[in-house]
Amino acid sequence: MSVSNSLWARAALLAAVAGMAALATTAQAHHSFAAQYDSAKPVNLTGVVTSVEWTNPHVYIYIDTTDAKTKKVTNWGFEMGPPHMLQKAGWKRNSLKIGEVVVVEGWLARDGTHHGNARRVTRKATGEVLGAASSNAQTLAGNANAKPPVAVAAPASGAK
Amino acid sequence: MRRAALAALAVTMAVGLAVRGQEAAPPEVPKPAPHWADGRISFSGSPQDVGNWEGPANATIFFEVVNGKVSKPRASLPTNPEFKDVPFQPWARDLYLKRQAGLQADDPHTRCKPSGGPRMFHTPYGIEILDLPETKEVIVLAVGAPHSWRIIYTDGREHPKDMKPSWYGHSTGKWEGESLVIDSVGYNDRAWLTREGVPKSTKLHLVERISRPNHDQLKYEAVVDDPGAYTATWGGGWYLRWSEGNEPFDYLCQENNRDPARMTGPKGG
Amino acid sequence: MTSASSVNKRFLATAGFATLLIASSLLLYGCGKSGSAAATPAPRYADGSIRLDREPGEKGFWDMPSATSLVEEGVTVATDARGKLANLADAEKVAPFQPWSLALFKYRQEHDLADDPMKVCIGPGSPRQMMTPGGVRILQDKNYNRVYLIFGGGNRNWRVIYMDGRTPPSPDEVTGTFLGNSVGKWEGDSLTAESIGFNTRFWFSNSGLPHTEALKLTERYTRVSHDVLEYEVTIDDSRTYTRTWKAKWTLKWMPGDMEEQFCEDGRE
Repeated sequence: MSVSNSLWARAALLAAVAGMAALATTAQAHHSFAAQYDSAKPVNLTGVVTSVEWTNPHVYIYIDTTDAKTKKVTNWGFEMGPPHMLQKAGWKRNSLKIGEVVVVEGWLARDGTHHGNARRVTRKATGEVLGAASSNAQTLAGNANAKPPVAVAAPASGAK
Repeated sequence: MRRAALAALAVTMAVGLAVRGQEAAPPEVPKPAPHWADGRISFSGSPQDVGNWEGPANATIFFEVVNGKVSKPRASLPTNPEFKDVPFQPWARDLYLKRQAGLQADDPHTRCKPSGGPRMFHTPYGIEILDLPETKEVIVLAVGAPHSWRIIYTDGREHPKDMKPSWYGHSTGKWEGESLVIDSVGYNDRAWLTREGVPKSTKLHLVERISRPNHDQLKYEAVVDDPGAYTATWGGGWYLRWSEGNEPFDYLCQENNRDPARMTGPKGG
Repeated sequence: MTSASSVNKRFLATAGFATLLIASSLLLYGCGKSGSAAATPAPRYADGSIRLDREPGEKGFWDMPSATSLVEEGVTVATDARGKLANLADAEKVAPFQPWSLALFKYRQEHDLADDPMKVCIGPGSPRQMMTPGGVRILQDKNYNRVYLIFGGGNRNWRVIYMDGRTPPSPDEVTGTFLGNSVGKWEGDSLTAESIGFNTRFWFSNSGLPHTEALKLTERYTRVSHDVLEYEVTIDDSRTYTRTWKAKWTLKWMPGDMEEQFCEDGRE
């Protein structure tokens, strides 16, 4: 990796951590979040979409992740906001395709299962970022004034 | 490359700060509150001004201490008491602390149970306030949680004697100038007074005052007169924010509700 | 002085009075059809449009549905108040089933409606809510041009019918709920509404009639008199039934206010 790319990567990581820290401190008191999810345990996973449950009160997406070393496949589930709020954040019922690769950022469940609460989903193929209307980010993506997400351009070729 | 990275960092932090500021802070130049044709204050909108009231995610009825500092969410009323000054009876303070320690895992709200009183006013997805002077009632529709409705009778009636305790109790209301003052009794002790798990008993006599200081803010104040849980009367409140464009939308709690099973609290599974 | 004729007269008068008393009681408090020729007409707003809710100063709400189960109009089968058929052989008459849906309906009936999701506090949904005891009020919001229905039974939910002529959401995008997404308009004195966006986690009749996400309901609310609301619903689900079909029943105007009820299933 070139020097400029590693700077970019480091800054992006810093930005992501700062952003997530900022969000984590704003909306602590939502009813279900803290009892189910640990906002001190961020998670960032890349995987293949295996299913989408487009239901109230929460949409769930499931992805298969593959461990780079052991090649073990694990299925993870992520909770998001309700369908209506996701639609306000730019989702459609069939936005995510089974088999496509996504990056999910969120927080880990407390119950020890392979489950989390999603804050953001990025589609690898297009770079499109979809807010998750997460109950922890309700003031960002889950309110009526949320605008549809702006597609984030993928980093210049050669960067990860 | 460095400039771009710094820009990315700045944008992310700005977003984080903007999020904080999105609670119901007084607007820069407040638009005046609308009125109906007969001059009465309106808690609603119009076809050209569609919207309803968003329950602020951070508002609390009293100020907690977080990381050694008194935390004062922006949407909460500056006059709210601090936790140390709330006149809990010992059992009620213990219950509140237990609910906090358990991270609100036992919250009946997530089991689709309704919340009378303050909690309805800080539940997300919006509330619609229907002021019906012809039939002398005010009906509040809540989009979130149990997707249910509360009725406040403004026909001058008294509370019934010997009420069976219920989730919404019995509410009578009257207008004092441009404020709606609501008097309620008859609550069960199951719903939490607020999202944080503030306890109540069946002896609760709740007085709420709702006003609209400007177009974008609804001021909600609650006085808790509950000799079953507190040693004195106390109160607090917050501002709800006008959610422009928000309409009562399709939502339901019971469809695929996984939360209760997953609400393990701090101990984990 | 008593004579046979005066005794007879008194008897007839008493019997007549008793009959009148019984008849008016049945009219006022019974759940059957009220077809009194002297019925008070439906109240109206100053602009002449029908009021589906209270008049100023009045109390009341709609309840006491005249039908206790959803059966195609014109078909007569015996069911109990829970929707269980007296005779399983009558199953195929209830609605124009496809083979799969008849089999599922019979299964649910044979198993005594054991799987009814209302037992675990899933809501009655549409149109079952209009046959669920507990009451309903229909509030006309002339400001926003919406109609809200607020329910006393089931999970004390509410629904909104948007009357502003908007395009309904695409069936591919609408969020599925138990009460659907509704747009409506007035046709003379009748409120009509079309609803789509139903999920399949509820039973849309107490008898266990099946439906899919293709369900579309067309409702017609007509206040034929002060005390009687006629409710007609057309069921359009081409994946479940071989054609559209409809059912009709009435609700009565009851005095007072709806009581607060919420489903409790004991699973805290």
